[in-house]
Amino acid sequence: MTESAALSGSGAEDRRDAMKDEMRVCCDATSASLPLNGQMVRLHGVCKEFEGARGVRALENVTLHVGQGEIVSIVGPSGSGKSTLLNLIGTLDRPTSGCIQIAGQDLSSLNDTALTRLRREKIGFIFQFFNLLPSLTCLQNVGLPLHLCGWSGPKVRERARTLLDLVGLGDRLDHLPEELSGGERQRIAIARALASEPPLLLADEPTGNLDSQTGKEILGLLQDLHQQFGSTIILVTHDQSVASVATRRITLRDARIVEERCS
Amino acid sequence: MMLLRLISWPYVRKHRLRSLLTTVGIVLGVAIFAGMHAVGDSVLSALSVTIDRIAGKTQLQVTAGEAGFPEDVLERVQSVPVVAAAAPVIEAVVQSGIKQEGNLLIVGVDMTGDRSLRQYDLEDGDQDIVDDPLVFLAQPYSLIVTRDFVRRTGLASGGRFTMQTMEGEREFTIRGVMRPGGLSAAFGGNLAVMDIYAAQKVFGRGRRFDRIDIGLKEDCPLDKGQAALQQALGPGFQVDVPAVRGRQFDSLLHVYSFMVNLTSVFALIVGLFIIYNTFAVAVTERRAEIGTLRALGTTRSQVIRLFLLESAMVGLVGSTLGVVFGSLIANALAGYIGDVMLAHYGIALGASRVSLSLSLIVTAILLGTATSMFAAVIPARNAARIDPVRALQRGWYQVLSADENRTRQRAAVLFAALAVGCLVLGRSRAIFYLGYGCFVLGAVLVAPTLCMWLSRVLRPVLTVLRPVEGALAADSLVQAPRRTSATIAALMLSTGLVVSLGGISRGVYGSVVDWIDSFLNSDLLVLASENGTNRSFHFPDTMTPALASLGGVADVQRMRSNKVSVKGASILMVAIDMDKAAEHGSGRVVAGAVKQMYQQAAAGKGVIISENCGMLQNIGMGDIIEIPSPSGLLRLPVVGIVTDYLNQSGSMFVDYAAIYLRYWRDPTVDIYKVYAKQGASAEELKQRVQARFSQHRRLFVGLNREVKARVMNNTRQWLGMSYIQIAVAMLVAVLGIANTLLVSVTDRRREFATLRAIGALRNNVRLTVWIESATIAFIGVILGFAFGAIDLRYELEMMRRDYAGLTLDYAFPLRLALILAGTIICAAWVSSLAASEASVRNSPIEALAYE
Repeated sequence: MTESAALSGSGAEDRRDAMKDEMRVCCDATSASLPLNGQMVRLHGVCKEFEGARGVRALENVTLHVGQGEIVSIVGPSGSGKSTLLNLIGTLDRPTSGCIQIAGQDLSSLNDTALTRLRREKIGFIFQFFNLLPSLTCLQNVGLPLHLCGWSGPKVRERARTLLDLVGLGDRLDHLPEELSGGERQRIAIARALASEPPLLLADEPTGNLDSQTGKEILGLLQDLHQQFGSTIILVTHDQSVASVATRRITLRDARIVEERCS
Repeated sequence: MMLLRLISWPYVRKHRLRSLLTTVGIVLGVAIFAGMHAVGDSVLSALSVTIDRIAGKTQLQVTAGEAGFPEDVLERVQSVPVVAAAAPVIEAVVQSGIKQEGNLLIVGVDMTGDRSLRQYDLEDGDQDIVDDPLVFLAQPYSLIVTRDFVRRTGLASGGRFTMQTMEGEREFTIRGVMRPGGLSAAFGGNLAVMDIYAAQKVFGRGRRFDRIDIGLKEDCPLDKGQAALQQALGPGFQVDVPAVRGRQFDSLLHVYSFMVNLTSVFALIVGLFIIYNTFAVAVTERRAEIGTLRALGTTRSQVIRLFLLESAMVGLVGSTLGVVFGSLIANALAGYIGDVMLAHYGIALGASRVSLSLSLIVTAILLGTATSMFAAVIPARNAARIDPVRALQRGWYQVLSADENRTRQRAAVLFAALAVGCLVLGRSRAIFYLGYGCFVLGAVLVAPTLCMWLSRVLRPVLTVLRPVEGALAADSLVQAPRRTSATIAALMLSTGLVVSLGGISRGVYGSVVDWIDSFLNSDLLVLASENGTNRSFHFPDTMTPALASLGGVADVQRMRSNKVSVKGASILMVAIDMDKAAEHGSGRVVAGAVKQMYQQAAAGKGVIISENCGMLQNIGMGDIIEIPSPSGLLRLPVVGIVTDYLNQSGSMFVDYAAIYLRYWRDPTVDIYKVYAKQGASAEELKQRVQARFSQHRRLFVGLNREVKARVMNNTRQWLGMSYIQIAVAMLVAVLGIANTLLVSVTDRRREFATLRAIGALRNNVRLTVWIESATIAFIGVILGFAFGAIDLRYELEMMRRDYAGLTLDYAFPLRLALILAGTIICAAWVSSLAASEASVRNSPIEALAYE
């Protein structure tokens, strides 16, 4: 059972507030010893526990820094805590203890709305199963985050077209996702993730649902975009070949970071 | 049963709110069906009980319409050899004059012969009053009442209270209290017995009786006795068993029954749609589960049985609860319907609790269960057809297959064509109703297609308003028609019903307004009863010259109404001064030459009938009508047809002097129409009439505008039943939309999670759900208006042909429609609250199906 399910009952708000307080104390205590120095992502002593019939400790005392412009891969076997770590970095979830800073912003002090806004402006998500909205065209899917940011229609369309050209799908503006191949859908997803020019891109098994050739193309695209935009990219994967595109590899096992090395 | 326990029950538990809403759909349908029929049954039952209890041992009753007959008929009856006992009776309904007490049914009897037919079992009071009729006669303002009455009023034997009589207010003394049961149970216990000759005076009956109750000799069979009496009395009299009087009232409730049946059927259809919607969606959601079952060896028939059993359980639970709520509805409506019955039909019902009969309960439960199972047939069949291999594949979308859509559209076109054909070509009732059925079916079949078209039309509008939320809301309708089409069809039907019944109400109201201006055209009306429909009280005709001689009075027209049996139907016969009617005008003429028809009628050579009488009884100009009178069977030709709304089953007009006085020998009047002289003040004239007459007689004087206002108020009260339909429509909106949205939110979890993941706030997601709900309501209302506009045409025709015989103008109830639209859209927003909270409650992570 995930924490969110556990937290969706009564008393959830109290427990969330208690977690925020704990994280604030932790960040205040440790922030002095963590110089910013262009670091995009900073985790210190982060733990994540899921309550339930048997409590599950998904992450244990994780401390991690990711610099601006880095490509970092997080690898590990199934159940090691990779996706949980990505959720925490992506502000989709909150740690049980420890502190997290994204782009210099302490997450523990932010409420749900502020986290969402941060996510909207600073973070781009690329999912394993693409998660494109099936009823929207490619152009509309890519423009979605910009609409949420309040951009005007013409500006959204212009930007979306530019991004689609960038990923090589400038001729598929009005196509629906179901009309595209897996690789094309992932390109659309990447274009969407880049819509608001976020400094941080999170990719969860971006090639997991693609054949090897298409997977390579997607990875190549990610690398090209990284060079062009200079975004920080964190990749979660169990595939060593995917992990190899990263400049640094972090290995998780049994909820802990067991290895951290440069590629 | 094992599959039900292992597969169905966990699904129901998981979707508790949805299951509840589905059940409520059947609860609603059955509750309305049971409640409204219970009230109708209760009305008839109350009348039957009253008739039966009052009848006692009476085997036959002699009547001559509502007007009764002269006293000398009693001797004729008594002289018939088969008669063992003959007891004259007068019945009247009066206001008791006691606070908090309603109407009292007074039965005037002659104790001499009456005790052989009725038991007067006194528990308290003067037994002599029963044993010796002269005692009763000597104390004219004496009453025997029921124990119920004394318990409620706190009075006892010897107690006194006042009542309005034709001679003004009089004090009555309670001389005896009857034990419960028997006669006491009539009219809900609000019954009193008095001496018949005192009753004649009190109610202005002159020397007439309402009827004679008869006991036959022991060895005389009923039919023989009936034949002997009929022969002795002639065709102007009716000799029947007491129960026949109850059956006559049945026809009076025709229009009420029409509205009840229509509302009940629609309520059940709405329940059917809600169930269908739920099961159709359930089949979609449980595809993988069903595919697994099939892969493991479950046969298609087992799958079908599973879903039918599920629907049967829903139906059974819903119907049982529906019966309970139906009882509550019936009791809530009983008081209102009672008022309507008195105001419009002059039928007073004793106040009593409405209960559902066993047969109605069983019928309601069976109907609800059958409806639920019927609704699940198509989804069950679709479930059985699921291909296990495809079902277990990921990424299946819920769309209507192209084939299914085409079949539906073709069927819709076919039914529409049949409907048009029946309307144009058909004259018979069967063809007309077949056409109507085709129209409804065609509308239901075309609803999903129209829903998709309208969603596509609305999408650009919604996208301009809210680029993300509006587009997604519209797409949800387009992409998942199976989820929404049944709800929209239900909304279309219920909204359409409100519109069409509203149109009828508007038509009736408009027609009554037109009629009232021409019929109630005098300056004053002097009435013997407050509402003009209670014919227990009459003025003596001797009052006419006294009234006419008052200063300021230009003319006085007499009116005396009675129900008579014509062609088996209860028709209101209105005796008026035809020469005065010709002069002052009375009703819009539909057929016949105005001057000529009034002249012939005034001479006693013809009768003028109302348009609805002609329509319902199939009588036309020149046809001969046989009217039973105490002086024999009257045969008169129809010399004119006018518009009239005095009686729902029809009315006819005869001359007061030439026909009524001559053949009924009843010199009494119900209503005087008083015309003021030029320049005279109507208010002053009213005061003069009251000053002259109210001291020693009961009367009600109303200015023209006051009486019109009362008539319009009564009409509005009757038409107020359309508010029940509005409530039903709103409930449908709330239930159906809430149900649909809960499913929608579940189906679109991933979509909402993706939105949240890329930066949508919770309110963005909520707004998507709210817009979807408002769009469903809007589309349902638009289709409902279109359906209602056509349905109104059909229902006006039904009213004309079969129910009221009224030709009403077609008038789309725009104001009602706009109020309804606003109400439903607001109700839709309310019904979306649970779903919108559900859409943001769960974590995006779960919905995105991370490890």
